[in-house]
Amino acid sequence: MNNGHTHVLLIEDNPGDADLVRLRLVEADSGVEVSSVNRLADGLAFMAKESPSVVLLDLNLPDSRGADTFRKVLEKAPGVPVVILSGQDDEALAMKALHQGVQDYLVKGDITSSHLERAMRYAIERQALLRTLEISRQQQLEFKNQFLSHVSHELRTPLTSIHQFVTILLDGLAGEVNPEQRYHLGTVLNSVHQLRAMIRDLLEATRAESGKIRIEPCCITIGDLIQQAVSMMAATAKEKQVGLEVGLDTRIPFVYADPDRVLQVLINLIDNGIKFTPPEGSVVVKACMVEADPKMVYISVSDTGRGIGPEARALIFERLYQDPNSVDNNRAGLGLGLFIAKQLVELHGGRIWVASEVGNGSTFSFTLPLYSLAKLLSPAITYADRLRDAVVLVKVELTPLPSVSRPAWKEICRQSLETLGRCVYLDKDLVLPVTGNVGFGETFFVAASTDLERAEIMMKRIREQLEARAGLKAAGVLKVSASAVALPSAEDGKTLEDRVRAVADRITEMVTLALPPKPGPESMDGEVSAARNETEANPTEQN
Amino acid sequence: MDKPKILIVDDDPDLRRALKIRLRANHYDTVQAADGYSAISVAQKENPNLIILDLGLPAGDGFVVLQRLQDSDSLSDIPVIVLTARDPQSSEEKTLQAGARAFFQKPADNNELLDVIRATLPNTWPGTALPS
Repeated sequence: MNNGHTHVLLIEDNPGDADLVRLRLVEADSGVEVSSVNRLADGLAFMAKESPSVVLLDLNLPDSRGADTFRKVLEKAPGVPVVILSGQDDEALAMKALHQGVQDYLVKGDITSSHLERAMRYAIERQALLRTLEISRQQQLEFKNQFLSHVSHELRTPLTSIHQFVTILLDGLAGEVNPEQRYHLGTVLNSVHQLRAMIRDLLEATRAESGKIRIEPCCITIGDLIQQAVSMMAATAKEKQVGLEVGLDTRIPFVYADPDRVLQVLINLIDNGIKFTPPEGSVVVKACMVEADPKMVYISVSDTGRGIGPEARALIFERLYQDPNSVDNNRAGLGLGLFIAKQLVELHGGRIWVASEVGNGSTFSFTLPLYSLAKLLSPAITYADRLRDAVVLVKVELTPLPSVSRPAWKEICRQSLETLGRCVYLDKDLVLPVTGNVGFGETFFVAASTDLERAEIMMKRIREQLEARAGLKAAGVLKVSASAVALPSAEDGKTLEDRVRAVADRITEMVTLALPPKPGPESMDGEVSAARNETEANPTEQN
Repeated sequence: MDKPKILIVDDDPDLRRALKIRLRANHYDTVQAADGYSAISVAQKENPNLIILDLGLPAGDGFVVLQRLQDSDSLSDIPVIVLTARDPQSSEEKTLQAGARAFFQKPADNNELLDVIRATLPNTWPGTALPS
């Protein structure tokens, strides 16, 4: 059969049935090699060591019954063809098995040698075909990835040139530009930005398809991120005369997410909202906690646009989908934005959905997980599987001056964290990047140590090292403080994990209380009091 | 005080020209190199305060240049900002590990690039007024 040699694994506990099948096998092909076991566990162990050409599987075994039996086999050895030996009365189950990846079934008592031989041969052939298809699919995906990555790289080089010289002209670095010329150049710059976004989305969507998008979650304040997204979109909203408002629940704890990726999702949803809302309408971004789901934060972007019909709603998160009714804008984009947003939210462990009614606007919502300090803290507050008596937390607060920009601040935070790492005893202390918002705004880190004396030395070193940073000195304000936290003594009936969590909760509370009060619920009508407008759509302004 | 000197390493002459205009307008002097080999020799001769480095270069790509800079006593302290068409997901971490201070994908925002240059060059921070 298979190059003349077929190795059959027979998993059957009834000795009579097993003998009969062996007899039929030998009748059909004298070269066949049969290994018999009568328990599922033995069969799985056999497959872990050898790879039989085909498995003949009885479903009711001493250690497994029914659908569980074939599921376990398919899971353990997904590439091995399986033929089920079913009783007269469980053909329905056999059909179910076919749907789930079993190749064929034979009804016991009705097995002839030619029957058996054909079932096995076809099972092996089909399985081989499936394998070839899968390999070819992977190759195509890989080829597509490489191709798109190459194309995106090659497109970026001339695009960079266009971008550079348009901004040079717009910024007046090559002489005066009159208002009409400025207007036309602005159009070119806008198109450059659109092209750049499309190139990025193409690559991201391909990556999402092959599961290669990476996220770097950290502790963030979602309110700051929403404010940032809104300030970045304020100009677009104003241009279209669409109101852009924010409503924040003041009690939102820290969120564990990748700030750049969340910003990307927010910008995408807000941009869509503005795009599909007529002038005088509004887009509202909200964040709140929901009682029924206390471990997630709920973020929504609502618009007063034309709404989305049921068919479009079902498809809107699909790749390349574009609502055929949304024809009012001349450049619709690639239809990848929501697909990418969905992948990003799901990578964080959240979900995304839309509620809408034609004529009544749409609300896109997504969830993100809350930050838990417990996991990060556990190595610092336990020692040899026991809770320590006390822990000293050194808090390093950095506050940016109004003149510093987000990327520069991000770089300073990165460098500060690196410096901080050099100031602790790596085997005994710990640095936790408990950052307010890695992007912009008050940022702080926590270092944990186990004794006060060492913590004081640590504080001194951190202060000296950071103060020596000229960049930080000019860009922000530094504050270093330490506080000791007594850890609860052992209580009966509480696991170490519970106690670590309790300590982490207390520390989280301390850290949260130390933050400046968050802004209450408020609304802004297109006008946002951001320190800097970071939309690149605004031409740079150099001296 | 002398203006800080920035070495632009890129094989695209258009980009070198554009960056030169942009950096000069922000009170930086510039010198240039079009490949990995001359990047090192120009750096040795000119002793720049900062290097803007492309990754895809003839005669020794950006990673080779980063390695040579690290290996050299006189050049290892010069901060390097990578400006490349390559994708951050595949290249950013690698470049930072190789010793670069920052990674920008082309086309980069001018303000962001200038801000990082200012943050990286202690003597010039905040030497030029930030745009309001």
